[in-house]
Amino acid sequence: MNRVTIEVNGRVLAAEVAPRQHLGDFLREELLLTATHLGCEHGVCGACTVLIDGAPARSCIAFPAMLDGAKITTLEGLSDDPVTAELRAAFTAEHGLQCGFCTPGMLIMARDIVLRRPGADEEAIRHELAGNLCRCTGYVGIVRAVRAVAAARAGLPAEVTRGLPVPAPAYVSPLALPEAGALAPAGRAAPAAAPPSAPPPSVDEKSLETLKNPVRLEQRFTVPAGVGAVWDFFQRPEAVVACLPGARLVAPSDGTRFEAEMTVKLGPMQAAFRGAGTIAADAASYTGTLRGQGVDSRSASRVQAELVYRLEPAGVATAVHVDIAYALQGPLAQMSRGAIARDLAGRLTVAFAQNLAAALAGAGAPAAPAPLDGGGLLLAMVKDWLGRLFRRRG
Amino acid sequence: MKAAAFDYHRPATLAAALPLLAGGARPVSGAQSLGPMLNLRLARPAALVEVGRLPELRRVEERPEGVLYGAGITHAEFEDRAVPDPTGGILPAIAHGIAYRAVRNRGTLGGSLAHADPAADWPVTLTALGAIVHLTAPTRHREMPLRDFLRGAFDTALGEGEILAGVFVPRLSPQARWGYRKSCRKVGEFAEAMAAVLLDPPRGVARLVIGATEARHIVLEGLQTLDSVEAALAGAGLTEDPARARLFRTVVREALAAATGEGAHA
Repeated sequence: MNRVTIEVNGRVLAAEVAPRQHLGDFLREELLLTATHLGCEHGVCGACTVLIDGAPARSCIAFPAMLDGAKITTLEGLSDDPVTAELRAAFTAEHGLQCGFCTPGMLIMARDIVLRRPGADEEAIRHELAGNLCRCTGYVGIVRAVRAVAAARAGLPAEVTRGLPVPAPAYVSPLALPEAGALAPAGRAAPAAAPPSAPPPSVDEKSLETLKNPVRLEQRFTVPAGVGAVWDFFQRPEAVVACLPGARLVAPSDGTRFEAEMTVKLGPMQAAFRGAGTIAADAASYTGTLRGQGVDSRSASRVQAELVYRLEPAGVATAVHVDIAYALQGPLAQMSRGAIARDLAGRLTVAFAQNLAAALAGAGAPAAPAPLDGGGLLLAMVKDWLGRLFRRRG
Repeated sequence: MKAAAFDYHRPATLAAALPLLAGGARPVSGAQSLGPMLNLRLARPAALVEVGRLPELRRVEERPEGVLYGAGITHAEFEDRAVPDPTGGILPAIAHGIAYRAVRNRGTLGGSLAHADPAADWPVTLTALGAIVHLTAPTRHREMPLRDFLRGAFDTALGEGEILAGVFVPRLSPQARWGYRKSCRKVGEFAEAMAAVLLDPPRGVARLVIGATEARHIVLEGLQTLDSVEAALAGAGLTEDPARARLFRTVVREALAAATGEGAHA
C-alpha cells in the first residue's frame, strides 16, 4: 500500500492505495463517484475519461499510487462549470445520448475540445473525439452537439490544458467524501500466491486442423552431419525441445506424445505456455510433424502450433527444412494486434536452427542473419532530384 | 481487467531511480502502453519505478545542431509546440496524430521509444529524422542512433538497469522535405502500414523508413527505385498477403509523393 494525497473535485484526500488499483476503480469504489464509467478497462473506449490536473486522461490506465499531489476532476466536479453546462444543454437539444454509457467521457472530452479548439469544424471534432466510443453509434447527435458549442465559442482564445489545474467547483458531489486524513485504509489483502497451474489440456487433433489464419514461418539451414545422425537427433524430443529457447519437456516423452512448457518474452509481456502435443515421423521420407497446443494460464492466451520438418542429404551434410504455423488467441493476440508475435517467432525459429546446428555439429552456432537493411545510394536519382529542386528555386 | 499486484516507487532523482531499476524494477512514465498490458495481465512486473517526472528527464536543451529532449516530454507538449522544434513543424504534426488527446496528455516520447512498438509513430518518425538516444545506467552514459536502438518488436538495446534518458533530434536544413503516411482502421488506432521519408540534400540525407512491419523497421538510406522498395518489402515478408502488400505500397508511394511534391512539409 502506498500513501498518497490526492485532490478530487476540490477536496484534498489522503488515501492508502494499492499500486495496482486504477483511478477509475478508486473513484467509483472508494469515493462512490460513479459518473466515471468503466468500459474496456484498457484505454480504448474513453468512457472513463476524467481530468487529471485539468487535462483529459483515461482513468482506467492511470493509477492513484502514481498520482500523489494530482488534482482529479470527474464529471461530478464539473456540475458548476459553465462550459459543461453549455454542453449538457447541447447534448439535450441534439439528442447526443441514447443509453448514456459513453456520455460522461464524451462530455469531459468535448469540454476539452471546445476549450482547446474554439470554432472547430465537424472534421476536427470527429478526429478529436475518435478516442471515445459510443456503443449506440449515436455519433451524429454527439458531434452536432459539440459542434454547436464549439461554434458558439468561435473567436474566443484557445484554452489549452496539458496538466494545469482547473478551479475547484463549489459543488462537489451529493455523496459525503471523507476529508484528508480521515479515509480509512482500503484494506486490500496481500496478493494471494499464484494459483497452481492448470493441468495441461488434452490434445484435440480436430482443433489443430482448423488452425485459422495461422502465421507461417519457414527456415532452411544446413548442418554438417549425415542425414542418418540428424534423423536420429530429431527422434529425441528432449534434445529437439532443448534447442528451442525457453522451452522444456515437463514429462519424459514416449516419442509419440509430449508435454512441454515454454516461456516467451515480448517487451514487458511474458507468457508461460504449458501444453501437450503429438509427434509423427516417417523415416522413409525423412519427414516428421509435431502438433501441439498450450495455454498461458495467467493471461488465458492460447496457442496452437504445427512444426513440419524435412531432411535432405546434401553431400556429407544435411539440409533441414522447418515449416512452422501457429495461431494465437486470447489477450496476447488481442494486444499483439494480429501477428506482431511473428517477429518473435521468427527470432525463435532462427535461434532454434542455430542451436540445432550447434548441437548436431558440436560446433559454434552460425552467425545471426544480417538485419534487413537499405540498398545503396542511387546517385543518379539524387542528382536528378537536386536538379529539379534547384531549377524550381532558381 | 485489473492489474496484478506490483510495488511502486517514485524516486526524487535519477540517481535514486537507477539502483531501483538495476534491481529489476521496470521504469514507467505515462503508462499509456504499459497500463493496458498491466490491466490485461500480459505484463506482471514485480515493481514499477516512476521516471517520467524526474527533473533530469523533463529537461529540454536547444543546441545549434538540434534539440535534446528529456524522455519525459509528453506527446501533447510536442503537439502544442510547448517545446522547441528543430524540424520545421514535423514533430507537432506527428504528435497530433498519436492516439487521442487523453493519451497524448500523459504518454511520453521516451516511453514510446523504449516500448518499441513497431506500429507507433515516434519510432518511425525519429528513425527517419536520424535521432540519437541517450541511455543512462549507474556507471555509464552512452549515445546511439535510434535506428540501432530499436532491434525488433518491443525489443531495444537497453541493458539491465539502463534507461532512455533523452532523445536528440537533429536540426533540418530549410530545404528539407518530409513525407509521412500511415494507414489505420480508425483515427488514433495503431497503424497497419506506415512510411516516413526525409530528403535533406544539404545534409546529404535521403531516408525511407517503413513501420508497422511487426518486426524491426525497414530503413532504406539513399533515394530508392520502386524495385528496391519492393525488394525490401518482400524481404520482410510484407508482400505475401496481397491486401497487406497493397497497404505498404500505398503508404510508401504517398509518403514519397508528399516528400518530393511541391508542398514544403506535407
